[in-house]
Order: sequence, then structure tokens, then C-alpha cells
Amino acid sequence: MNTAMTKEELEQLLDQAVQDVTERTAGVRLHQKDQSPGEDLCTVQITFDKGFRTSLTLCADTGLLYRMACNSFHEDSVSPEDLEEFSKEYFNVLCGRIAGAMFRATQVPAHFGPPEFYRGRYEPEGREIQFVLTYSDECCGGAQLIHHVPRSGESGDVSGDA
Amino acid sequence: MSKRIMVVDDSRLVRVQLNDVLEGTDYEIAAYCRSGEDAIARYDEIKPDLVTMDIIMQGMDGLDASERILKEHPDARIVMVSSLAYDDTFEKAKSIGARGFVDKPFHKEQLLKVFEQALS
Repeated sequence: MNTAMTKEELEQLLDQAVQDVTERTAGVRLHQKDQSPGEDLCTVQITFDKGFRTSLTLCADTGLLYRMACNSFHEDSVSPEDLEEFSKEYFNVLCGRIAGAMFRATQVPAHFGPPEFYRGRYEPEGREIQFVLTYSDECCGGAQLIHHVPRSGESGDVSGDA
Repeated sequence: MSKRIMVVDDSRLVRVQLNDVLEGTDYEIAAYCRSGEDAIARYDEIKPDLVTMDIIMQGMDGLDASERILKEHPDARIVMVSSLAYDDTFEKAKSIGARGFVDKPFHKEQLLKVFEQALS
């Protein structure tokens, strides 16, 4: 993101948003930890289409998203459709929070499209990873928030800085 | 007497959260609408004291729906509840006559304070 923010500042902003929104939305405390998610994964992805030509991807253990969905909906179990609905709504709120914080920091409006949900790991085409924040909850469910930028040469609007 | 709220939001998550937050307060949820069109169609029937309106929804967005409701019911009390708490959204909501803005995910205290101000 060409936002006059350093990569470290952006990482901190994203981390605060992830921790706050996750706890308030789903009652789950996530902590940064070097523990990659397992094999059974879901991915939610949002592309910023104005101001910041980047995308954010959340790749998480299905079990973690399942617990978050049950907590949020006050249910003992949720269907695969509920899981998808929750994941998209949660990520939409998270990205709204991030876009708001970005705007306050840079005065650049950041609009984004509707979230896409995938079973398994999904890597957006034409983009490369700029950084990854890795999280775990108290039940050792893992999640990664991945910041993608257009591959070099595919957009003149993105600098090396976040 | 409790104040009747019409919730306009296509998010099940928000409906559950609003239920939680408003339990035990002087507010009751009188109706849920999943779209701006639904809210316009049902406003007369529900006659809510307050409307909470999401912005990004399938079909007509919450700003357009609010504008339509306020055109027909200038005394309608509408509070925007959205994750789009930035740039020109606040200004646009204010300019069409919305009485407040709450960003998602909301705190109970923050929500109730905005409701109180909107109804005062």
C-alpha cells in the first residue's frame, strides 16, 4: 500500500484490528504466535479497489472459525453455510475496521469489495505476499492474516512501503 | 414503555449482537429487515421509534434507503450502524438526516448513547 505508512506501522494497525474485532465479535482472544494453521483450512479474502490496490486474506483452521461462529451465533454447532456466512461477515467487519484506521492514518479512503470464501488455502492471482501475521487462540487454532500486493510490474501504484 | 427499533441489516451476526446488547434495556427490536427496499416497504407498518441502518447491503444501500424513508417521514430517527466508519460516509449520513453513526463491532455503551441522542 502506498500510504506513507511503514510496513511496521501497517502491521501494528492490522494486529490491533484483528485482536479487537475477534474478541468483540467472537469472544476469542488471538495472539501472535509462530504456529501455522493445520491442514483443514478455510480462506476469506477481500480486495481493496480504491486507494489501496491490495488484498487481505485470512487463512484459518476450520476448527477456529467454527468455534468463533458458534460463539457469535450462540449455537452449539453451526452448518457449513453458517460457517461461511459468519466468516464473510466477520472478515467484512474486520476489513471495515482496518479501512477506517487506514483512513484516519493516511486520509486515503480505502474501499473494498465483498468478501470471498474458499474451502482450503487460496492465493489470489497476480499478487505476492508482502507480510503475514500468524495467530493462535487458546485452543491452538491457527490463523494467518496475509497482506498481498500486486506483483512487481503489474501496478505502478504500490511502493515497497506498506 | 420501551422504544421500538427496526433493524435494517443483512448480517445475521449483527442481529444476534443487537439482541444481546439490547436485552434488559428500554429498547425492543420490533422488526428485522434484510434490505433497504424491505425497510422502505415496512416502515409504515412498523412505525418504529428508531431505525438502525447498515450501509452496504444487497440491492439498495442504507444511505439511499435512509434518504427515501426520511423523504416520506421527515421525523424518522435513523442511526447508521456500519463498518464503513470513515471518509465521506459520516458526512453523507449526516447530510441526509441520519441522527447518529455507530461503527461495527459496537460496544453496548456506545450504541445506547447514540440511541439516546438520536431520540432526544
